Amino acid sequence: MYGIKIMKNLKPDYNKSLIYTRLGYNKKSAELSTEAFKETERLIELTKKTLDITAAYRMMNIVEIKPPEVILEDGTVLKGQKLSKLLENCNTALLMLATGGKKVMELITRLQDEGRLSEAVVVDAAASEITDSALDMVMAHVAQIIRPRGQALTKMRFSPGYGDFDITQQRDFYRLLDAQSFGITINDACLLLPEKSVFAIAGIRNYF
Amino acid sequence: MTKREFKKLFNNRIVLLDGGMGTLLQKMGMPAGVCPEKWACENTDLIQSLQKKYVEAGANIIYSFTFGANPIKLSEYGLAEETYSINKTLAMAARKAAGEKGLVAGDISSCGSLLAPYGNIEFEEAVNSFKEQIKGLLDGGVDLFVIETMMDLQEARAAIIAIKELCDLPVIATMTYEPNMRTLMGSDPVSALVTLQSLGADAVGCNCSSGPVEMVEIISKMKPYAKVPLVAKPNAGKPRFKKGKTVFDMDAESFASYAEALVEAGANALGGCCGTTPEYIEKLAEATKNLYPVEVERKPYSLACSNRQTVEIHPSLPFAVIGERLNPTGKKALKEALLKGDMDYVSDIAREQVEAGAKLLDINAGVPGIDEKDVLVSMIDAVCNAVSAPILIDTSNAEALEKALRIYPGRAIINSISGERDKLEKFLPLAKKYGAMFVLLPVNDTGVPETAEERIAIIKDVYRKARKMGFTKEDILVDGLVMTVASNPEAALEALKVINWCHKRFKTNTTMGLSNVSFGLPAREHVNSAFLAMAVANGLSTAIMNPNSKQMMDLVRASDVLSARDRSAINYTEFYSGEVVSKENASNAKEGLKSLYDAIISGDRNNIEELVRQELISGRLAKDLIDGELIPAIQKVGELYEKGKYFLPQLIRGAEAMEKAMAILTPELIKDGGESTESKGTVVIATVKGDVHDIGKNIVAMLLKNYGFNVIDLGKDVEGSRIIEAAKEHKADIIALSALMTTTMGEMPKVMELVRKEGLNCSMMVGGAVLDKNYAESFGAHYSNDAYSAVKLAEKLMNDNLH
Repeated sequence: MYGIKIMKNLKPDYNKSLIYTRLGYNKKSAELSTEAFKETERLIELTKKTLDITAAYRMMNIVEIKPPEVILEDGTVLKGQKLSKLLENCNTALLMLATGGKKVMELITRLQDEGRLSEAVVVDAAASEITDSALDMVMAHVAQIIRPRGQALTKMRFSPGYGDFDITQQRDFYRLLDAQSFGITINDACLLLPEKSVFAIAGIRNYF
Repeated sequence: MTKREFKKLFNNRIVLLDGGMGTLLQKMGMPAGVCPEKWACENTDLIQSLQKKYVEAGANIIYSFTFGANPIKLSEYGLAEETYSINKTLAMAARKAAGEKGLVAGDISSCGSLLAPYGNIEFEEAVNSFKEQIKGLLDGGVDLFVIETMMDLQEARAAIIAIKELCDLPVIATMTYEPNMRTLMGSDPVSALVTLQSLGADAVGCNCSSGPVEMVEIISKMKPYAKVPLVAKPNAGKPRFKKGKTVFDMDAESFASYAEALVEAGANALGGCCGTTPEYIEKLAEATKNLYPVEVERKPYSLACSNRQTVEIHPSLPFAVIGERLNPTGKKALKEALLKGDMDYVSDIAREQVEAGAKLLDINAGVPGIDEKDVLVSMIDAVCNAVSAPILIDTSNAEALEKALRIYPGRAIINSISGERDKLEKFLPLAKKYGAMFVLLPVNDTGVPETAEERIAIIKDVYRKARKMGFTKEDILVDGLVMTVASNPEAALEALKVINWCHKRFKTNTTMGLSNVSFGLPAREHVNSAFLAMAVANGLSTAIMNPNSKQMMDLVRASDVLSARDRSAINYTEFYSGEVVSKENASNAKEGLKSLYDAIISGDRNNIEELVRQELISGRLAKDLIDGELIPAIQKVGELYEKGKYFLPQLIRGAEAMEKAMAILTPELIKDGGESTESKGTVVIATVKGDVHDIGKNIVAMLLKNYGFNVIDLGKDVEGSRIIEAAKEHKADIIALSALMTTTMGEMPKVMELVRKEGLNCSMMVGGAVLDKNYAESFGAHYSNDAYSAVKLAEKLMNDNLH
C-alpha cells in the first residue's frame, strides 16, 4: 500500500556523548584539555556542516513470522532470532535507510591523505553517529503518522549485521528501499558506499 | 465565527477543547490500518455520539474527525477524489453533534509526506491540497479551523495560507514537540509561535507527542512572546504496551491535576489528545472551573525568526549584526555565482557570516539579466539549509518579494518599505499577509530628505498607514539612512538624529547600512567603526555590515559591554578568553618554553617542527632528542590512553606530532654518523579483499610506525596474494590484517593458509569491529581490540620471537 518515502536535508538531533564514546572517551577517567575538547567540538561542527543526510523508509506487511524467519508481503524472507522476537505482535515492518552523502567521505579521505588522522577519526565517528540518528527521525516521523491509525512502533530497531541478523541481508534492504536511487552502492561483501549509509528495520503493531 | 468573536471567547476564562477520538474509536472497534476518516463517514452516528459526549463533558470547541482527510494522505487509500465529500460529511456530523452548545473546528493535520526541502511535496502542492480539504470543511459548516499535530513548521504555514486564501475564519495552530522540546524538523516553541502568530494564527500551542508535564515547559517558553491565546492538548501521559494492548499511563484525575500548572504557565485553552476520553475533559472542566488566564508581561522585542531560531531585537539586548555579504552589488564572485546558479557558494557565504557573528542575514538577488524571483528563492533555500539565522529579504521587486515571503519558513524582515506610494501599496499588504517585519526607509516619492526632521515626518506617515493595517512598532526597524560624508559633511549627524529620535521618543528599533557613510573615502573601515560606535551610543539596535571585519566586530562586542547590553560582560569574556589562551600557547612555543616531551604529550603538531629545529640549533643531538624525549613521551601517551585518561584523537595526535619530529630528526641521525632508529620489526599491514573501510587500519599503521616498527602499508581491499608477496619482499615479522564486516573477515584465514603454504616465518595479528579473540585464534592469528593494544601485541610478538 505504501511506497518509498523520502526525507532529505535532515539535521537530526543526536547524542553527542555517543560520539565521544565511539572515540574511546571514558567519562570517569578522561583528562581532556580545553584545547582537545574545543578541537573535537570544532570537528563535530565541521561534520554536521558537511553531512548531507537523506533517509528513506517503506512500510511492508508482515505475512508470517516463523522464527527465525520473517516473511514480508513480497515474499522477502528476513532471518534472525532476535529480529523475529522484535517483530512479534507486529503486523507491519518499517524498513529504513539513512545516508550521510559523499561529501563527508571525501572529507575523511582528504584529512587522512593530509596526515590529519586524528581529525579524520573524529569526523568518522561523528558522521556515523549523526547519520544513525537520522533513523531516530524516521522513527519519530513514522510514529506520528501511524498513531492516528491506532498503531505504534517498536522502541528498538535492528540493522543487518546485528546478532544473527546477517549482514548479507543488506542486499534485501538495498533492493526493497531502492538504495541505488539514493546514490548508494553495495559491493560483494555487502559493504555500502558511501560508507556512512545504514539500513534498519523496526516493527509496527496495533494499539489494541 | 469572526476573529473578534474568537478573541472574546478567551476573555476571563479557560477555553475547553475536546479529547482524543482516534484512540477511542480504535478501542471501540475501528479496525487498524483502515482509512479512519472514510470509516468515520460510514459510522457517523458513532462519531456524533462521541463528539456529543465531549460537548456534554464541557468542551467549548470540538474538532471535526478530519485529521488526515487531505488528498495527499487520502491518496494512500485511493480516496483522494473523495476529499471534499469526506470533509463535508464529517464537518456536518460534528456541527450536528455540537448543536448550539459548542463550536466546531475543522481539523487539518499533516499530509503524511514531508514538504520540500525535506521531502518531495512542493509548498504550493501542499497549499492546494489543504485548500481542497478546507472547501469541504467550510461547506460542512465549521466555525473555525484547527491545524494540529504538525511536525514541520512549513507545513503548518502552508495550511494557514490555504485557510487565509479561502476565508476569514479563526485558526488555531498547534505543533507536536519531541522530548528535546523541538518539533521533528527542528523548530523550537518560540520560533513556531512567532512564525504562526505573525502569519495570522489566532491561537497557537502544542498537542500530542507528550503528556501534560512536558507541555508546561513548552507553554512557559512561548508565553513571554505570545500575542495570541496559547493552547495545550496533551496525551494521557505516555503510551505503554501491556499484554498485547496499549495503555496510557495517566488516568483522568491525574491528567486534570496538571490543569493548574498549564494555566499558570500561560495556557488559555486546554484539551486532550491520544488516550484521553470524555471523562478526562469532564475532569478538566472541573479543574479549570475556578482558574483564570494569567497575565504575563510580554517582552517588548522585535522578533524575526527562521524555522529553528528566533532573534530578539531591542536596545537592551546585544547588538544584532545583519550580514551584508549576500548582496551582489559590487561583489564580483557572488554575482558570477548567482549567474551560474552556484548555491553552494551562497551557502558558504551564509555560514561564514554566521560563524563570524552575524545574527541575521540580508539576502539580495539583484543581478541584471537574471530572473530575480527564482534566484532569490534559490538563495533563501540555500541559506535556510546552511544556517539557522533569520533573513532580511532585500528586493524592490514585488513579485520576487511575494514568492520569497511565501516560501520562507519563518518570520522574515522585508528590506525595505519606504514612503513611496508604490512601495506602500504593494509591499505593505504583502508584509501583512505573510506576517513579516519590515525595514522602514525614510524616503518618499520626492526623494531622499537631507534633514532628520523631514525623515521623521516620513517615518510617522508610514507608521500611521502601517498601524491601520495592524502593525505595531515592534514590527518595524527604522533605517537611519546614512549617506556618505564625502559629499555631505552633515550626513552622519542627520542619520544619528533619526536613530536617537527613534530610540528615545518613537521607541522603535533601528538599523543602518553602515558602510554608506564612508563611500568615496580611503581607509573606510576606520570611518565605519567610528560611526558605528557613535550610532550605538545613540541607541542603534542593528546594523547591516560586514561581520568578517574584525575591527567592526570587536567594536560591536566592546560597545555591548559599555552600553550594558552585555551585562556582566558574559559574551565578551567568553569570546575573548579563548584568544588569550591561544596567544599564550603560541608565544610559549616561540620562546621554546614547551619541551619536545610536552609537545608530544599534548599532540602539538603545529609547533613541534619549530621546537625540534630550535633544539638542533642549540646543539642537541638527534639521538638524544629521540631517546631522551620523544620515545619516553610517546610511551607516556600510550600509558595515558591505556588508563583512559586520553581518548583516541589524543593518542593519534601524539603520534602525528611524533611523526613530524621524526621526519626532521631521521636525516639528522644519519648526518650525525649513526643510523636511523633501530626498528622493532617489520609489519605488513592491509585491509582485506572486499573491505574498503580503512581508517582503523590507518590508525594502527601510524601508531606502529611511531612506536618504532617498520610498517609497509598496502592499503585497502588487498588480495591475499599481494599480502604474501609483500611479506616475502620485506621479510615481514608480522602480517597485520583488518576487516570490518562478517562478509570480509573470512579472507583472514585464507591469507593464513597462504602464509603456511608459502612457509613464511611470520606472525599474524588481526583486528576489526566484527572480530573477536576466539575467531582470531581459530586460524592461528592474534587479536587486538584497539589501536594501542595492537602496538602492545606487536611488541609482545616481537619479544616472543626473540626469546
